[in-house]
Amino acid sequence: MNARSLFIPATLFLVLAFLIGPFLIIVAASFSAGETLAFPPQGFSLRWIAKVFTVDSFRASFAMSMFLAVGGTAAALVLGIPASYALSRYRLPGAEIVRTIVSLPIIVPGIIVGLALLRYVVVPFGVGITPALFLAHTALILPYAVRVVSASLDNLRSDIEEAAVLLGSSRMGAFFRVVMPNIKGGILSAFILGFVTSFNQVPVSLFLSGPGVRTLPVDMIAYMEIVFDPSVAALSSLLAFLSIGIVFAAERFLGFSRYV
Amino acid sequence: MFQNRAEALALVLPAALFAAAVFLVPVVILLSDGFRDPTGGFSLAAYIEFFSSPLNQAVFLRTLKLGAMVTVVSAVIGYAAAFAIVGLTPTMKGRMTGLVVLPLMISPVARTYAWIVILGRTGIVNQAFQALGISDAPLRILFSETAIFIGLLQLFLPLMVISLISALENMPKDAVPAARVLGANWFQVFWKVILPLTREGLVIGGTLVFTGSLTAYITPAILGGSKVLMLETLMYQQVSVANNFVAASVIAFILIVMSFAANILLKRVATARNKVRSAK
Amino acid sequence: MKTVLMASAAILLAGTGLARAEDKTLTISVYALAQDEYKQIVYDPFEKICGCKLVVETGNSVERLAKMEANKANPVVDMAVVSMADGLNAARKGLIDKIDTSKIKSFNSLYDIAKDPNGDGMSVGYTFYATSIAYRSDKMKIDSWADLLKPEYASHIAWPNVTTNQGPPALYMLGQALGKDTPDLAAPIEAVGEKKDEIVTFYEKSSQLVQLMQQEEIWAAPIGRFSWAPFTKLSMPIAWATPKEGQTGGMNVMIVTKGSKNQDLALQFMDFWLSTDIQTKLAEKLVDSPANKDVKLSDAVANNLTYGEDTAKSLKLIPSAVALDNRAGWVKSWNAKVGQ
Repeated sequence: MNARSLFIPATLFLVLAFLIGPFLIIVAASFSAGETLAFPPQGFSLRWIAKVFTVDSFRASFAMSMFLAVGGTAAALVLGIPASYALSRYRLPGAEIVRTIVSLPIIVPGIIVGLALLRYVVVPFGVGITPALFLAHTALILPYAVRVVSASLDNLRSDIEEAAVLLGSSRMGAFFRVVMPNIKGGILSAFILGFVTSFNQVPVSLFLSGPGVRTLPVDMIAYMEIVFDPSVAALSSLLAFLSIGIVFAAERFLGFSRYV
Repeated sequence: MFQNRAEALALVLPAALFAAAVFLVPVVILLSDGFRDPTGGFSLAAYIEFFSSPLNQAVFLRTLKLGAMVTVVSAVIGYAAAFAIVGLTPTMKGRMTGLVVLPLMISPVARTYAWIVILGRTGIVNQAFQALGISDAPLRILFSETAIFIGLLQLFLPLMVISLISALENMPKDAVPAARVLGANWFQVFWKVILPLTREGLVIGGTLVFTGSLTAYITPAILGGSKVLMLETLMYQQVSVANNFVAASVIAFILIVMSFAANILLKRVATARNKVRSAK
Repeated sequence: MKTVLMASAAILLAGTGLARAEDKTLTISVYALAQDEYKQIVYDPFEKICGCKLVVETGNSVERLAKMEANKANPVVDMAVVSMADGLNAARKGLIDKIDTSKIKSFNSLYDIAKDPNGDGMSVGYTFYATSIAYRSDKMKIDSWADLLKPEYASHIAWPNVTTNQGPPALYMLGQALGKDTPDLAAPIEAVGEKKDEIVTFYEKSSQLVQLMQQEEIWAAPIGRFSWAPFTKLSMPIAWATPKEGQTGGMNVMIVTKGSKNQDLALQFMDFWLSTDIQTKLAEKLVDSPANKDVKLSDAVANNLTYGEDTAKSLKLIPSAVALDNRAGWVKSWNAKVGQ
């Protein structure tokens, strides 16, 4: 072993320790018996895991976050799939402008989006907080949906559908029978990416909260403003394992990483 | 390529109109607030006022500095990690990439809180430093720029590593051995061969990391607090404590300009390089 | 794809329809503290009595007031509890109505200072609290507010940010300790500014202090009595200081939104909350110190609260008008001396 061949695994180990370490500490703290977040944990207990399920606001905000993540991603895909298809298959003047508009939500800080929606959509038009959150999350996921679906469309040769059209199929029919089955994996990847993005999103939702309406991460922050016990760590671990489970299953059965 | 323009527009318009209505219009109105005087005319007074405050100047420079530092350091570490991962067997490569991506699945709220425990005076970093004799007394890391830097780096490094992994994989396989045969040392190989060939991945990763660092809210809020404000936390404070929407609009505009500028700058660098390459 | 669209539209409608299912809804805006206890002691029993649904918004005082102002034309919240100064602020901004105290049966049982804290008939106090210093009694000795800034202590304390409810009172007491107590708080802000690099953090959320205390990041911090309980659970000697300048504090008040369609319900809710029975239960759980003087508490409970007429009178409260008129100036000089 010379210095260089040791250097590479050592680097990798350090980088992974840096990236994963905090997560391990959160998991360890979830099983702590102590009153605060601490490492090494003080004793072992399941009390904080159990406590997560007794906090009412967590249940309500979990449901809200689930609704936003699933509904928002579905809506973003409904808007995003046709747009991606047009962008990759049609010669469209102004395609760049469309691409820019649709991908703006990635570049503009979320906190600004939330504030702008609150001031100029929610207040003047009397839109409820829930629909406003739904609109915001849909807009936020749209760029990811367009990007991932476009990528899988670009990987699919367009002569198959052109052949289908030549053989008498309608454009629409060709899309559903030929294109859709082939970009299924891409759509699912977009769905997972959108789901995770929406679920962990904080800044947009920070200003968009109202009586009884709050997303889970914002609720977690609010909870920690009053109580600083390990139940938030416990909740985070549970959520992390949930997302890891979903991604693992997707990777296992569909080869998720090919599309991201 | 299909030519039917009406069809294409019908497919693209719903998404474009939605993004414009929900996103573009409210944000533009918000930004215009900062350019208006009380009578509704155009004015830069809010900007002059903002930048004449030493506190705001300090916050602005700090945000720029931390964003740049996180981007540069994540690029350096990112290359090392990406190299290590690309050189592995396919199975190991998949597993290691998975581990790098893993933190992205965890709520940033929890990830940031973990640092409070790790970086505290009695946390493991200080324990290790004292055990190794690096420092005698526990260092104060929390509520400092260092803490924010560490938190942001951990948050955004995975994005850089992933961008660089795919860039390295797309590099011609024989480029590095060829350069080595021609007598280049490792530094020259990196500078003259690898960097130009992976520049696009670096640009994508760099834009994601820089924009992310500018717009992160949780990390500076928890690890810096009001003692070490960044633009994003300052903006939140202006809205929810000072009720000053004009100042918030000014900060919003500055943040957007900064992310666009970084994006354009990095893109320029990449295309300039490509032109050089294709000209040869 | 149409079905997906329709399904999401249906979910969306269902989401907004939920609130409409109940006929009578009272929307209240409160501090985020101790919501589990409030639910058990106040909200759930009240929902049973009134046959209505309570919707609860939580957050800090200034933040929630900002929202009320944004929604002025179309009020969302019927009744709110805020700090005394924010109560006056809301009155000045025309966000709230006079309170019809004849509908509050327990009004005459309130301590005098709680009956009309701002002298405008627009608010009623429901709890008050002392603000002093929680500190590690094995590491330090606190006889005066100025002791916190001693060179050997300054790098082990957290100080409340000027924008929090505890910030101005703490600065006010520091000013007294320094013998320079002008309403602009210039001297204490200057004194804190000189130590800004040493002070661990200028906290905004008191809950974080428990964590910081536990991991020995800090030894002391000025806090309100309402956030004292969690410190007593830590396995370290933590004491409540009684500095020679005395204790400061604050009062929280109830206000009724102008233009609310549920004013009667809001008053019924306030009547319930201020009743001797409910105030006693909240006190016994160490949630709120009672503003109702008919509440009788055991010594053990009283020791952890701010209890009794004498205590109430001894608190050096900053008058709301002073707080409000100087707030912008405090923040400005704080930002200049401490913020950067």
